[in-house]
Amino acid sequence: MRFLPKSLVLVGALAAAGLAQAADIKIGVAAALTGGAAQYGVAIRNGFQLAADEINAKGGVNGNKIQLVVEDEQGKKEEGINVFKKLIFQDKVLMVFGPTLSNSMFAAGPVANGAKTVVFGTSVTANGITDIGPYVFRNSVMESDVLPVTVATATKHYKLKQVAVIYGNDDAFTKSGYDVFKKVLEDQKLPVTTTETYVKGDVDFKAQLTKIKASNPDAVICSCLAEEAANIMLQARGLGIKVPFIGGNGFNSPKLFEISKLAGEGTFVGSPWSNTNPAPANKAFVAAYVKKYNAEPNQFAAQAFDALHVAAAALQEVKLSGDIAADREALKNALPKATINGATGPFKFRPAVTKSGKPGGWDADQKPFIYVVKGGKFTAFDGK
Amino acid sequence: MLEQQLLNALTLGSVYALFALGFTLVFGVLAVINLSHGAVFMVGSYAALAMVSHLNAPLWVAMLGAMVVSGTIGLLVDVLVLKPLRARNAPHLIPMIATIGVGIMLTSAAQGLFGAEVLRFPEDVMPAGEFMVGDVHVRALEIAIVAIAFLLMAVLFTILKRTQLGRALRAIAESPKAAYLLGINVEGLFHITSFVAAALGGIAGVLIGLNFNAITPFMGQPMLHKGIAVIILGGMGDIRGALIGGLFLGFAEVISKAYLSSQMGDAVAFGLLFLILLVRPSGLFGRKLERKA
Amino acid sequence: MEWFNDFWSTYSTLVFSVGVHALLALSIWLTLSCGLLSLANAAFMGVGAYVSALLTLHLEWSFGSVLLAGGIAPTLVALIIGAPVLRLSGVYLAMATLAFGEVVRITVLNLEITGGPEGLNGIPLATEGWHIALILAVTVYGLARLRRSKVGRAFEAIKEDEVAARLMGINVDRYKLLAFSLGAFIAGVAGALNAHFTFFISPREYGFENAVDILTMAVLGGTSSLIGPMLGSSILTLLPELLRSLQDFRSLVNGAVLVLVVLFLPKGLWESRRIRAFFKRLKGGQA
Repeated sequence: MRFLPKSLVLVGALAAAGLAQAADIKIGVAAALTGGAAQYGVAIRNGFQLAADEINAKGGVNGNKIQLVVEDEQGKKEEGINVFKKLIFQDKVLMVFGPTLSNSMFAAGPVANGAKTVVFGTSVTANGITDIGPYVFRNSVMESDVLPVTVATATKHYKLKQVAVIYGNDDAFTKSGYDVFKKVLEDQKLPVTTTETYVKGDVDFKAQLTKIKASNPDAVICSCLAEEAANIMLQARGLGIKVPFIGGNGFNSPKLFEISKLAGEGTFVGSPWSNTNPAPANKAFVAAYVKKYNAEPNQFAAQAFDALHVAAAALQEVKLSGDIAADREALKNALPKATINGATGPFKFRPAVTKSGKPGGWDADQKPFIYVVKGGKFTAFDGK
Repeated sequence: MLEQQLLNALTLGSVYALFALGFTLVFGVLAVINLSHGAVFMVGSYAALAMVSHLNAPLWVAMLGAMVVSGTIGLLVDVLVLKPLRARNAPHLIPMIATIGVGIMLTSAAQGLFGAEVLRFPEDVMPAGEFMVGDVHVRALEIAIVAIAFLLMAVLFTILKRTQLGRALRAIAESPKAAYLLGINVEGLFHITSFVAAALGGIAGVLIGLNFNAITPFMGQPMLHKGIAVIILGGMGDIRGALIGGLFLGFAEVISKAYLSSQMGDAVAFGLLFLILLVRPSGLFGRKLERKA
Repeated sequence: MEWFNDFWSTYSTLVFSVGVHALLALSIWLTLSCGLLSLANAAFMGVGAYVSALLTLHLEWSFGSVLLAGGIAPTLVALIIGAPVLRLSGVYLAMATLAFGEVVRITVLNLEITGGPEGLNGIPLATEGWHIALILAVTVYGLARLRRSKVGRAFEAIKEDEVAARLMGINVDRYKLLAFSLGAFIAGVAGALNAHFTFFISPREYGFENAVDILTMAVLGGTSSLIGPMLGSSILTLLPELLRSLQDFRSLVNGAVLVLVVLFLPKGLWESRRIRAFFKRLKGGQA
């Protein structure tokens, strides 16, 4: 009895067929496939599998097929460590993608870095991730690169004089997003009427929104995950709040408008990816994803998809020796130079600036797009 | 702003009360802290959603359907898990641990069937309609939730106080052994209670799923925490207490969010619970309940 | 030997977790042995973890003193809240301690020094296998001695019948406080150990679910002896790893195993009397 997803078996079969000429490249994927973070983890796994299928269908990397070893880390830190150790020491993968949450990365990242194995996060945006060490990479764009542009654009467009803020204060992602917003608002001298919080699992935001309404802002800034944001928008409209929203990375999912319908009109979002970005690479990705999974992709899937292509680009330049330690080191040296033009647009790495000044890992160097929501869709903001 | 916040509090409080109803009923009659109640609540939401979106059932049918599905799960849990444990005279924490296992199973089954993503009721089944009373935005759905919570509470209360069934249940709550000796079909009533409690949990799930429009496999967990707080506040096993405790918690949370700081919402709920227990060791409205299973 | 090296580098964290969970299960066993259903141990673990991690990160104390401080800090908290809380009994005590745990979690969430929801990262690796083994051994030995001492008998008496114990002249309140704060000490040390091999701690790890998990470990294993909690914690820690090949069905099976064990062994996996009877039968069969 095998419960392996079909596609994985397929990849395995394809890889086995190609065994005669070339070896497989084993790559580990640690994602939260069960538990509260599964909604991201599953999309991430899908993104990786789609990319692996695509690369293998084109003959692999230098003739070597990519074989993904996918493990569930449940979004828990101990599981993250266990899975990383299994992938690195037992499955002897060349590199590890994941984990899904920043929290797990803080726990599992040091394991990979200590084992001199590249760890590549696709959804970890927290500050300090790439401080862990030189083997840590990520293509998730940090909020501090995106939000100043978003806020400045929205301020100019709506002529904002004061804003209200709402964020989730028990979640590392939304809290660090808030910290960036706070700094941006101070820098851009935009007064805040009130700052409200909620906790994970909350579905009723009316108490906070009633307060926000009373404070009379020109816009509501929201550091929230897409599902929460959609509810916040719906409930805000229900309470008669008519001002636009400004969101961070968490807003960036088609789910947002599936749910909130037209409640989100006029929302400003800055992000490296949107499903409506007309670039050919993105269109191809969205079409392939919908075909394979019969569902709309989200940013998590897009970044995972791109991440594997980045790794593949680096692997093109690596001559695999079969000595796992040497190959891992070679990949670590080749990866910073890798560039692609993927679903999230042109991508390259830049060295992380660490707190301690010691050499750290590599962050994403990507230009954010600013989107405004029109007719329930993200449309590129053209400055009008 | 105050009027709006009071309405917010009333809705939230009714939601808590509705959830706590079934929870407290099971504790009162079966003397089990049923930690799968959160999962049963979640199942109700999904059941209604499946009926609405796959069978095109109207909302009220879906609600009844959700009650039947959830109730059946409650019944199955009682027959397959709790009854054997009663027969084996398990120590009183054991049934609770078993319900944790049931909760895990239901949650992962829901994730397997429906995925981990947040699902919603389609727009067109939502009871639309909102109006203004003075400065206050009122949605029809909110009225419905408050009304249904109070109605169900009243029905349950009347049954318990006025009918033969209610008297039998109260006898069991006092002492199952004595009730058995009086010729009451204790096992049968345990089954009925489990069914009804879970059905109540199910409909709470549908209403909350409609109102806040977010259905996930994990939606039961935060509700369960609040439910525990509610039944402690209201006195364990006390139907009226579930209403009072639910409303109390709803008001305490909303008012503290509105006038202190929104960071304080949960801290207030649990801090209050902690303090109340210190002052009134059997809850705000509870009487001393000293029965060992 | 190479096989062992591979095994150890893959599973050392898992083995560490088993040890730490065993300590936690023993900490709740201690309060249960005095008839107290306290669910504050996850919070105590959190206090220990945070205090020790902060001392390591900011003051660079030695690991030994950090562990000690990680145990003492929650003990002090337990002594302070113990007097009012321990007047409660049964489920009310359980709920009050759960509520206390939530208050601790929310406090940590909103403090600056604890890093709020982002937690503390970059905690250096200090815990080694023998630390955990030694502390676990000392704890088991200490608890075994305690059981057979005057204190242990007093606990037993209070558990069986509090009123009778009081009438017999046992200072019930003091013994309860002793069990409660000793439990807090063990949980705190476990938290400190855990913080120093997982590089990272956050408030989420010390909440409601974790409190219930700890209780489950002890009850599943059986609380009639010291072996039960250790067995229960080992099984619950290893089970998800053993079920890994089931992929998506893992937590479903995990839940089902929990239900089935409880259903067929309602007194816990390790029930001394049953085990003894089993061995007696075995011997009888051979003779």
